[in-house]
Amino acid sequence: MEEELKTIEDLIDQLALEIINLDEGDILGLGKAMNLIETLEDKGDHISEPNFGKLLKALKRYVEKLILAEETDVDPLERGVGALQAALRAVSRGESYDDNLSAMLSELGRYGLEESNASDSQGGNGSEAEQGLEEQGQEEREACPEFLSDEDQEVMADFVVEALENLGTIEVNLVELEHDPSDADIINAIFRPFHTIKGVSGFLNLAEINKLSHCAENLLDLARSGELSIDADIIDIILESVDMLKKMIENVKVALEVGRRPSSNEGVGPLIARIQDVISASKEHKDKPLGELLVEKGAIDREEMERVLEEQKKDGNKKVGEILVEKGLVGSKEVISALREQKRVGKKKIDLQVKVDTKKLDTLVDMTGELVIAQSMLRQNKRILSVTDQRLFHALNQLHQISSMLQKTAMSMRMVPIKNTFQKMVRLVRDLARSSGKKVSLEMKGEETEIDRNVVEELYEPMVHMIRNAVDHGIEPPEQRLAKGKPEKGTIELLAYQRGGSIIIEIRDDGRGLDKEKILSKAIDKGIISGVEQLSESEIYNLIFKPGFSTSETVTEISGRGVGMDVVKKALEKLRGRVEIKSKPDKGSTFIITLPLTLAIIDGIIVRVAEQRYIIPALGILKSFRPNPNDYSTVEGKGEMIMVRGELVPLVRLHHLFELSERTIKPWEGLAVLIGNENEKLCLLVDELVGKEEVVIKTLGEALKNVKGLAGGAILGDGRVGLILDIPGLFAIAKNSQDLPAYSVQKVA
Amino acid sequence: MALDTSIKVLVVDDFATMRRIVKGVLKQLGFKNIIEAEDGTAALNELRKEKVGLIVSDWNMPKMTGLELLKEVRADEELKSIPFIMVTAEGQKENVIEAVKAGVSNYIVKPFTPETLSEKLEKVFQR
Repeated sequence: MEEELKTIEDLIDQLALEIINLDEGDILGLGKAMNLIETLEDKGDHISEPNFGKLLKALKRYVEKLILAEETDVDPLERGVGALQAALRAVSRGESYDDNLSAMLSELGRYGLEESNASDSQGGNGSEAEQGLEEQGQEEREACPEFLSDEDQEVMADFVVEALENLGTIEVNLVELEHDPSDADIINAIFRPFHTIKGVSGFLNLAEINKLSHCAENLLDLARSGELSIDADIIDIILESVDMLKKMIENVKVALEVGRRPSSNEGVGPLIARIQDVISASKEHKDKPLGELLVEKGAIDREEMERVLEEQKKDGNKKVGEILVEKGLVGSKEVISALREQKRVGKKKIDLQVKVDTKKLDTLVDMTGELVIAQSMLRQNKRILSVTDQRLFHALNQLHQISSMLQKTAMSMRMVPIKNTFQKMVRLVRDLARSSGKKVSLEMKGEETEIDRNVVEELYEPMVHMIRNAVDHGIEPPEQRLAKGKPEKGTIELLAYQRGGSIIIEIRDDGRGLDKEKILSKAIDKGIISGVEQLSESEIYNLIFKPGFSTSETVTEISGRGVGMDVVKKALEKLRGRVEIKSKPDKGSTFIITLPLTLAIIDGIIVRVAEQRYIIPALGILKSFRPNPNDYSTVEGKGEMIMVRGELVPLVRLHHLFELSERTIKPWEGLAVLIGNENEKLCLLVDELVGKEEVVIKTLGEALKNVKGLAGGAILGDGRVGLILDIPGLFAIAKNSQDLPAYSVQKVA
Repeated sequence: MALDTSIKVLVVDDFATMRRIVKGVLKQLGFKNIIEAEDGTAALNELRKEKVGLIVSDWNMPKMTGLELLKEVRADEELKSIPFIMVTAEGQKENVIEAVKAGVSNYIVKPFTPETLSEKLEKVFQR
């Protein structure tokens, strides 16, 4: 006993020393004092003098107030410690101590008496203290605008990009959370972006964003502490908040572009009010927290629960749920899954990363492209070729290798995993399923597959459209699925992989599949086909890509938006991609999108037409040949045709199409290049094949943007410029003779 | 007392924009030598690589929180005397107390002005 008293005495002396040296706002010192007081509380547990404990508690509260800058005067602490010393002396003499205590306690703010219980059990809702911090924040926020004014715009722009990225992660995590509403890691992962956005928006004076993210954060904080259980409605309201935040941040972006502060947003107020309703509703049930419910359910007995609660009081940072799971008292499954998660995170290798403006990247890719060409011009230079110097050739070879490696690296920098685009679909599928009353799960494979970021951006809309279709037309309602003996829940699968120089993206559903009969009759109805054609299966499926075609008999809210699959196809063609359909009745449909690995380079066949060079993308070429005069014919109303393997294929004279020459050569004097697009074929008449080359595509600029039949230009190895032919565009021209320049068909005919 | 602005400052936050803002504030106070880390683990790596004179860290970060970082720093013989300022959000009283108990040099509430940070720094370096 005596020894213990000695320890306590020492501790009090240390505390006294700490406090004497204390300056206003000396956080480090206050921290030490705090720790000493807590040790004293611990050691002095059994001291019979009740006022000793009260004093300690009051001192602790006062130190807290000093830390939180609610009080600035340290003198009461000194007097408090003096009283503590006196109390201890009394105890060691076996007397009771009551000297002037009430005055002392009241000076220390009376904390620890009436309020001790209330604020203890509610670990941290000491509302006064919170208020203090809140006010401090408020005050400083008002002082904010001047200090960032120079950098304001740039920081805002950064914020927009980063915040939108972060909101994207929220969506994915939310959908995951719906499957496992108790996963603390996921809740925390959702909490964090809101928290961060709140913090930064506070700096940037974006009051509405700040307020909404703060509210959402509060809501999630309740979920984190287990006081609020996550259900679909809560997830809905969080998703709504995400949407609203996105909208507001987009507004900031727009406002930045015009160089003024963003205007305020309607609808934020009501949303905030709704969140607050949810929060206050959950607070009403607060008397029955997680622990209580678990006890009721019999997942844990009351004694155990009480011990955990006791522990939580000591370690105020931890939530009850956390401790429970940690101790394995409840939900051992969660513990295991959390551990696995932890392992995975630990193993993940973190590469250092730098954020770069994409414009710079585009320029880099362009410039390296030019470098490769300049390098090949050098190698092909006649003078250089005539030099017989081993070392020069060695150096040139090295230059060639380095520049092509440089090009590859530059290109790879613009590649991003398709993951982000895929993940956006998670939210989409969830929303679609919820609003259509269907049950759909989304599975993804190959999310790590990399794709040119310029392609990724363009890919989003078409994919959204196809997934809408899959949910709306493909997946059947649950009762129908059950009747067919399929699982109630439909599955949409997204796959991405690389094959050769292409990226393949598949969208699969296990729904009802495309109905050939229905497509045919609809196509006839709409006048897309006459009905006499003999169409192959894939030709029938391809009808859904025709303008004016829509398979759904009822226009639904989801996919009946007046745009058809033709828009999808056009968008993909713009990316030099194509789409195929596979389908089996009642087994489902698969849409296979094939895209070039990058938009910047194509494999091209170079052809000469009169004095000009043209580049035909190698992907579209089926074969080239010198036509036989016997295979050539003119069909009334259709123009010139060439028979290729028993099939009449229209002939397009590039000389005429591009107004290069008035001369009409005989087809067998030139060369025919057979190109294909889906199931159609076309012969291009050229003078000769010059060679095969990888070329860097350059756009033709605004003025020539709408020229039909051309996809761009490129600098060829010999330094000359060649124009790249646009295969789908050529087909469009051939099909629609009105589009043909007046001289071409007529002159031939 | 004038601040010694030649020291190296480590700014820790998972949100790049936030780091930029904090850096901006520090620069306004005259600090030029500023490095960054995006979470506690990365911060520890930096600290073991470079001599740092001040740490300004966010609380809520993935992988290793600001508090865990603070505890690691204070437990490390080499690092424990580095001034450590914790950035917290409004209304997080428990966090503040927790950090103070763990030996934080000072804390600052978002959003803050250069003046507030300067005041806190002066207090920190007074000792």
